[in-house]
Amino acid sequence: MTKKDIAARLLRWYPPQWSSHYGPGFEALLEDTYGSSSVPWRHRFSIAKSGLLERAREVGIVGTSASGNARLLAGSQLVLCGWSLFVVAGAIFAKFIEHWNDPVSSPHRALSSVSVAAVQFAGTVGVLLVLGAATFVVPSVVRLVRTSGWQSVRRPITKSALAFLVSIALTTSVALRAHFLNYHQRNGGSQSYVALVVLAGVAIIATLATMTATAISLSRQVDFSRRLLRNLSIAALALTVLMAGIALGSEIWWTNEALIAPRFLDTSIGNGIVYSSNSFPPPLLLMAALMILGLSMALVGVTRVISGIRHDDTIASPATPH
Amino acid sequence: MTKKPSISNDLARPNEPAVLILTSLASGTKHGYALTKDIEEFAGVELGPGTLYGALTRLVERGLIAPVPSDDRRQPYEITVSGRAALTDAVQAMQSLANEGATRLRLRDVANPLLPAPNTPRLAR
Repeated sequence: MTKKDIAARLLRWYPPQWSSHYGPGFEALLEDTYGSSSVPWRHRFSIAKSGLLERAREVGIVGTSASGNARLLAGSQLVLCGWSLFVVAGAIFAKFIEHWNDPVSSPHRALSSVSVAAVQFAGTVGVLLVLGAATFVVPSVVRLVRTSGWQSVRRPITKSALAFLVSIALTTSVALRAHFLNYHQRNGGSQSYVALVVLAGVAIIATLATMTATAISLSRQVDFSRRLLRNLSIAALALTVLMAGIALGSEIWWTNEALIAPRFLDTSIGNGIVYSSNSFPPPLLLMAALMILGLSMALVGVTRVISGIRHDDTIASPATPH
Repeated sequence: MTKKPSISNDLARPNEPAVLILTSLASGTKHGYALTKDIEEFAGVELGPGTLYGALTRLVERGLIAPVPSDDRRQPYEITVSGRAALTDAVQAMQSLANEGATRLRLRDVANPLLPAPNTPRLAR
């Protein structure tokens, strides 16, 4: 690999707009500094960090150069990304807790029942909130298509639609195949069924990721009004509260089950994947990791939303003389 | 009591990349590589390419430095009037702190505050 190739490769960490301004000078600096020797790893990491920071700055996630509206949008988008992770975590939780109350005697179910009900309620409200927010955004997207043409949105929407169709096809295949299998085969006895379930799961996650990316890509092109952005931000704040509720509810359920029915956590459905654990089954560990990541993203988003609200309030209401 | 000049966080400490870059450019136009070498020489600080260009980007955005038109791929930068003002504020704030420290440590003759302190430590990052 030539010096120029290495410099060009390192430059890929930065956003295109930044590269067009600073790229040539940056490449020249790398060539002058390192000559024919390789770039030390600590400097590579520093470049990667700096490039990612520039990307975050460009979309308004960090920094003070972004406008209030850009901060509101970036914050809301981060919350949406966090919510996507919660959808996956929620699906893992829902699968894991199937038949959870069978081995638990009635007197001990109260706390677990309440926590599961709280998770289900918060999940349902969250889905309605996201759908409601999407409905509010549709007119702006339609305006974008009218003014900029279908070409501007064709690619992300086609990708999402394709991913959605593949997911539907695979999920239907799973349902049809399950119809002809017995309980044992459905729960790890049939390798082909397990493979199909895993494939459908991967397709659903990919669809979710594609749809989130499409929503972000479209929202960057749309010129939202300040009022709509504020409403979206309020929805994002509410969604974050719901995510915290879901995380808390699932953790309470997990802790309570570990105390009153540890055997359930030991022997729960693994869909053919053998695991041994005590109170920390891998699916719940994965769920917790996704929730922590999702909630962290949402919290960063919330701070950005708050900074966006404050930023434009400061502009809107200049200091009045006393 | 004298009012302290208001300076932004990235100009508040002597080893901040922004301060080092402004100080280097105060003596003339320089491109990226020349900046790193100069800063290494006068401050003993090695700025990596990521750190250097991150700071350069912020300084350009704030109008404290500006790119100078050049045919070469090496992009030179110069300090602007606002950059000089910001650096002056930062240097005065640091000087005031340094004077106070030197006086309290009795490192210099109070009657002659401009006398440099003995064994001035090099800046470290």
